[in-house]
Parts: sequence; C-alpha cells; structure tokens
Amino acid sequence: MRPLYGLFLLTFRELWAKKVVLGLFVISSLVLLVVTFALNLNVVEGSLQGLRLFGQEATPDPSANGQGASEGPQFTLTNVVVTVEAIVAGMAYWIGILLALFASASLFPELQAPGRVELLLSKPISRMQALLGHVLGVWVLVGILTVYLMGGTWLIMSIKSGVWHPRFLLSILLVVGMFAVMYAAVLLMGVWTESTALALIVSYGLIFVSLVLAGAESIGPLLGSVGRPVLWGLYHALPNFSEVTELVVRLARDDPISSWYPLWSSLAFGGVVYGVSGYWFVRRDF
Amino acid sequence: MPAAISVSDLSKTYRTGLLSRSTVKALRGVSLEVPKGEIFGLLGPNGAGKTTLVKILLGLVHRSGGTARLFGTPVQTPAARQRIGFLPENHQFPGFLTARQTLHVYGRLADVPQIRREEKIDELLRRVELYERRDTKVNTFSKGMLQRLGLAQALLNDPDLLFLDEPTSGVDPVGRRTLRDLVLELRDEGATIFLNSHLLSEVEKVCSGIAILRDGEVVRKGTIKELTAVERVYDLVSTPVPDDVLDDTVLRSSPDGTAPAPDLRAYRLQADDRATLNGVLDRLRAADVQIESITPLRRSLEDYFIDVVDPPDVDTTG
Repeated sequence: MRPLYGLFLLTFRELWAKKVVLGLFVISSLVLLVVTFALNLNVVEGSLQGLRLFGQEATPDPSANGQGASEGPQFTLTNVVVTVEAIVAGMAYWIGILLALFASASLFPELQAPGRVELLLSKPISRMQALLGHVLGVWVLVGILTVYLMGGTWLIMSIKSGVWHPRFLLSILLVVGMFAVMYAAVLLMGVWTESTALALIVSYGLIFVSLVLAGAESIGPLLGSVGRPVLWGLYHALPNFSEVTELVVRLARDDPISSWYPLWSSLAFGGVVYGVSGYWFVRRDF
Repeated sequence: MPAAISVSDLSKTYRTGLLSRSTVKALRGVSLEVPKGEIFGLLGPNGAGKTTLVKILLGLVHRSGGTARLFGTPVQTPAARQRIGFLPENHQFPGFLTARQTLHVYGRLADVPQIRREEKIDELLRRVELYERRDTKVNTFSKGMLQRLGLAQALLNDPDLLFLDEPTSGVDPVGRRTLRDLVLELRDEGATIFLNSHLLSEVEKVCSGIAILRDGEVVRKGTIKELTAVERVYDLVSTPVPDDVLDDTVLRSSPDGTAPAPDLRAYRLQADDRATLNGVLDRLRAADVQIESITPLRRSLEDYFIDVVDPPDVDTTG
C-alpha cells in the first residue's frame, strides 16, 4: 500500500504545483467571498424581505415589464438560495471540469516521459497500482476543490438563509463523477499517444459532441436509415456530458429527476475507457 | 543460492509500423548469470540490445521469450524489484521538489517506511555530498548533482542489486571519481552492481565480470582479466638476458615495457605451449638470469572491445 499511497501523494502534489489548479482554488475562494460578503439577504422571521448584491438593491420589481407577481417566478428565500446554488453548481460543472481537464491532461504523459517512467516502474509497484495511484490522486484533488467550492457555497447559503437542502450535495458527486468520466478519455489518450494536446482535443471534442447528442431526439427523425442508428449508437456509447448538466442543476434546485440514464451511460463509458487504458498501460513497453 | 541476475535464452522482438507488421529483434537468445557481490559490466555498441536487456530486468519492457530472474524471482512480478535500486541515464525528478522531498517521494514508492526514510535520507544526502543542498529545489541542480541525487534515490531501500545506466555520463572527472568510489564502497558492503556504460576506462576500473552484446547476442562474457589476456604472450622482467639467449620469435626486448629498476630489463615472451614457456625459463636460469616477474600480457578493455564488436577484416585472398 505504501507505494500506491506514494504515487497518490506525488500526483496530488504535481497537480497542486500546476498554476491552473491554484487558479481554480483562487476563483473558488472569490466565489465564496462574494457569496459570503457581497450577497446580503434580508431575512425576517424566515421570509425574504430584500436582497442586496455588492451593496445594490437586487430585489426584483414584480410590476416590471408588465409582469404581475402571480405570473413571474416566486421571489422567495428558498428560490434565491437554490438559484445561487444552481449557478455555482453549473459553473463548477462546466468551467470547473474544463479547467480541471486542462490542468490534469499533461500529468500522465509527463509520468510516462523518458527518465520519469523508469524511476517509477523500477519500484516494487505493479503497473495497475501505478495507474490507480495516479487516477486516485487526480480524482481526490478535483474532489477537494469541488467540495471546497460547492460545499462551501451550500454551507454559507444555508447558514445565511436558514434554508438547508442537502440534496444539493449530491450534485458534488455528479460533478466529480463526470470529471472522472472525462478524465478517462484524457488518460486513454495519454497512455496511447503520450500527447497532452491530443488528450485535450479528444476530451473537449467529446464534450462538444455531447452538445449535439443532447438533441438526438429532435435530430434523429431528420436523419436517414443509416444516420439514425449511428446517432443513437453514439448517444448510448459516448458520455452525455451536456445532458448531465440538467441533472446537476435539477439537484441544485431541488427539482425531481425524471431519468438518470445520461449519468449511468456516461459512467459506463468511463468504466470501459479506464479498463482499456489499464490494459494498454500494463502491456506497453517503455 | 540463486544468482543476483539469471537470464536464459531471453529474446525480445519489437513490433513497429502500421499494424505492427515490421519487427526488430533486439535480443536473440541471451543467457547470462551475474553472481552476488560482483560489479558486472554490460558492454556493446549502440543498438546492441543493452538497454532492452536492462529494461526487461527492471520490468519496463516485456520479454518475447526466455526467462529472466532477479534473486530467483521472475522479473515480471513487482516483488522482484523489492531488493533493487536503479539509476537511469537521463532521469528526471519533478522540478518543484527539493532534494529531501524527492528522496521521500521515491523512498515511499520503494516501500521504505517513514522512520527508516528519515534516517536514511540524511545519511545518503551526506554520502553523496548533497546534504548542504537538501532543501534546494532539484530544478536548480547541475547534471553531476542530479546524478548523485539519482544514486541516493537508488540506494534508499538498501538494495542488494543496483542497476547503473551510464552513471558517469555528463559528469566531470571529480564527480566521476566520487561516483566510482561510492560504487566500490557498495560492492564492499556486499551489493551486486550491474553497470551499463560506454566509458570502458570506468568499466575496467571497477568491474570484475563483463558481457559484450552485439546485434542482440552475447558475443563474449567472462572476467576482464580472462578476456583481455593475450593468449600465450607474457611480459617478463628480469636481469639482462645475454644476447645468445634472446630469440626474436620467442623472447625479445619489450616494445613498450619499462623496467622497474635500473638493473632490470623488460622482455616480451611468446610461448605457443607450456613446453616452450618452460624451455625458455630453463634457458634463462641456465644463463643465471634472475626473473623479477612474469605476467600474461593484457590489452586494454577498449582494444579488446573494438576487436570484438568491430573485428578487422581478414584477408582471405592469400
């Protein structure tokens, strides 16, 4: 276990030494500072009487744009809390994952660089352990950053408002889980090509493709007999990164989830890709 | 008791190109044994298969056939690497770590418990003369300092077998001397050392046994003394030999020898068999010649190596 823990710590430290991760930490801290100090909720006996952002009154005027209070969204304390939490969750999901992939994409190719890989693999550690230690290190650091941002936001908003809805915390698992899925693609490209650029292109490409696949139901009928099964094949085989956004936001907003399928199919993709990466890494010559 | 390294009929074929259709045979049936406690040198020209052999022994490259064991344990199991240390030629440490942190990281990977690491790291940093720089980031280190730090990381687990790949490459003469002395100290402490080097003068100074690889095959192996001895040619140091005893075909003045004392002379003796040798010695004694020493003539390892890997063309036209 000691070598595995050693590689876990090394990966953790390498990632921490990257400026992008430090940047993510600083941005997260700024968000928490804004939520703490710049967002003021005027709560009287459990109901929201007013909202100020950076010292400016931000309470919506129900009569604005000809909307009556009964037609617009309810300006309640709970609504404000879940909206802030959903914004932070969406931000963590998209910006956080894209930046975390950018920060971590070079790690595995660097680990396999001549002069580094010999030092690692000549130790009494199996290649599977080496891969596992590395992957756990990346997951845990991203997990810590996500908990810091989203957990911190949840805690601050809950303390300020008195509205506690723990379901939001599940969205942290989704963010970390989907990062892990996308990191599988980065890892596979790293093992296969040792190219950081290609690893990023493929993982970002999968995210872009997921935006298209999210519209499969409306695009499918427009395609021919060949295109339709190909589209649905891709929909089921590739990660549904874009669709999982809705799950994250729904959890943050405390809305019901109609289908978890996009998450399960994405996790299955991740599992298969990690398996292939491991198989390849074990069989490779260095 | 198993040998430190035991290799039998080892082969490696690399598959390259589209669909892995091209093949390169890097090793062809290599068999080798390195006994414990020896400094063993692996020599060969570029592309001979030395690096492939070392990488197979370290589990970095998978063998295509044959067997390879370290202390009796097959090299493909991580346990085989429990008792070894390795200093790669162009190793790279994470630049953001200090010397001490680097050794902690690699010590942990080598399964060295923390308490042992704490003691061992300070001891090794002193031994490789880096203790004063222990808290300096390694990306500021010179090549020589990195080599010494690399050697320290290879010694963290008190290895019984140490692989050194071009350990003195790019190191200045003083650094080379320090590394050489360390290697000899380790040998004296009972470690087996497997040295892969192009610097034949270094190999000659420290190794007892060597193997020469060419085109993926072991073409020579043995002790340096055995291999570099010129068959049936001896250097003789004695009091002056009378002219009538000198015989140009058997005994003549040494072309490059200098006598160790004014009353002595150096000669070269070529005896095709034992009887001839004893005959010459009898004649010398009969002529009252006092023999100071008689030793087999040796070539330098470099000359021997070049003869083996690049033999002179033999004129067969008569």
